[in-house]
Parts: sequence; structure tokens; C-alpha cells
Amino acid sequence: MSAHVSTRQYVQIWVALAVLLFLGAAMSQFPLAKPTIVVGVLTLSTIKAALVVLYYMHLKFDHRWLAIVAAFPLVIIALAVGIVLSASLVRF
Amino acid sequence: MSTADAISIDSGGTGVPSNKLGVWLFLASEVMFFTVFIAAYIVLRASNPAWPGPEGHLSVPLGTLNTFVLLCSSMTMVLAHAAVARDDQRALRLNLLLTVVLGATFLGVKGYEYSLKFEHGIGPATNIFWSCYFTLTGFHALHVLAGVLTNLWFLMRAMQGRLNPRTGYGVELAGLYWHFVDIVWLFVFPLIYLL
Repeated sequence: MSAHVSTRQYVQIWVALAVLLFLGAAMSQFPLAKPTIVVGVLTLSTIKAALVVLYYMHLKFDHRWLAIVAAFPLVIIALAVGIVLSASLVRF
Repeated sequence: MSTADAISIDSGGTGVPSNKLGVWLFLASEVMFFTVFIAAYIVLRASNPAWPGPEGHLSVPLGTLNTFVLLCSSMTMVLAHAAVARDDQRALRLNLLLTVVLGATFLGVKGYEYSLKFEHGIGPATNIFWSCYFTLTGFHALHVLAGVLTNLWFLMRAMQGRLNPRTGYGVELAGLYWHFVDIVWLFVFPLIYLL
């Protein structure tokens, strides 16, 4: 599946990952509101993870079955988080 | 050719090689494994107003550098996969070697960080933050160690000239695992070191 991505593109993605990493580390030191830093840093982490999954693990070009397998635990996690949050909302 | 060199095994009807599908299923279970620990950390931290935190015993520059090391190893791993696909033996060996060295470097830095904690009398039982720290980073380090050993094994086979486009399918599978280990750290690092 590596034929879909050239060596040059792999290196470009690595540069993007490095930039996002240092941006996140720098953002965490900025005098910003804590929620802003949390959302910003975790958003950057999610973008980095997506780049790795889509291009380095080739999920973007691979069979859709693998995308379903990859998404399955995320659905379970979303359900679990939903249950936990709903439980905390109804707690008095 | 041994089973270790096995080429992709066709599957019954899914269109996905069975060994690749198996690795992805394994990774799906690993996602849930690490999510449990990460979720526990978040819940514990959110429900504890007097969260102790690292209190100056974690180095953000060192953690950032180690994350960069892991990102570099992901790139060399995918380059090794590309190299075996086009039967470029020199690039395959070089990139597998770099991946192993970078993975070992990550573990070395992590060991150095652990030794600093122990020197200051900090251990898993110190408080809830350090319990979470050693649990999350410890399990992750064990996964990195497994990945380094796997990549080392493939490097040895590459040095013997036993990997080519037909027999080197395992490099892609090892790469999937290695990238997953990288992704886990992309979330563990900010949660523990930055936030």
C-alpha cells in the first residue's frame, strides 16, 4: 500500500508532525486559559494521530474493512464516555 | 521459507489479508486497553480538586525531545516498509536500523527519567499523580520494548537478505504496531507532561 505515498510525502508528513508537536509544547506554556490550552493541545494531538493513521498506517488507501475495525473501538469509547457523562449529569 | 517470512495470507471473502486484519483487530483491542488507563487518569484528575501534579519533577523539553524521537522512528519505519516493497535492500536495512536505534533511545531517555524520579524518592506509591504516571508510561514503555525487539528481529532478517517484496510483508505489520505505539504516546505525552 506504500505505493500511494512517495518518500517525499512521508518526509513532508514527518515535518508536519514535528511542527505540530513543538506547537503543542509551546502552546502549553502560553499564558492562556487552561481550557483553551487543553482543547488546543489535544486537538493538535488528534491531528497528529490522524496523520499517522491515514498516511503512515495507510488507512486512507487501504480496504474499508480496516477502517471499520479501526473505528470500532472509538464507537465503544464514545458510548462509554456518553454513559459516564450522562450518569454524572443525573447525579444529585 | 519459514512461516516467519510469510507473505500476506489471503482471507476468506473480506478482501483483506488475514494477517493484516488480525493485526488491526489486535490494535483495536489495544486502543481499548490504553483508553481505560487514559480515561482513569482523566476521571481521577477531574474529580480531584487537590490534584498533586508533577511539582517540577517532569521535564517538558526532555519529554518533547523524546516524543520527537518517536515521531522520527515512525517515519523511518514507514520508509523501511516502502523500501521492502521496492526491494531496496540498503534503504530497508538503514531504516530498520534507525527505527531500532530511535526506539532504544526513547527507552533510554525514559529510563533516565525514571532514575531521576527514584533518586528523589518518587515512586508509584508517592501519590495519585505518580501512580498514574508510572502506570501509563510503564505500560507504554513495555509496548515500545516489544516493538523494538520485533523491529530488531526484522532487521536481523534483512541483514541476512531474507526480506523482499514477496517475503517482507511482516515489515508492514510490524510497522502498524510501531505506529500505534507512537499514536498512544501522542496522547499520553500531553496529558502527563503538558496539561
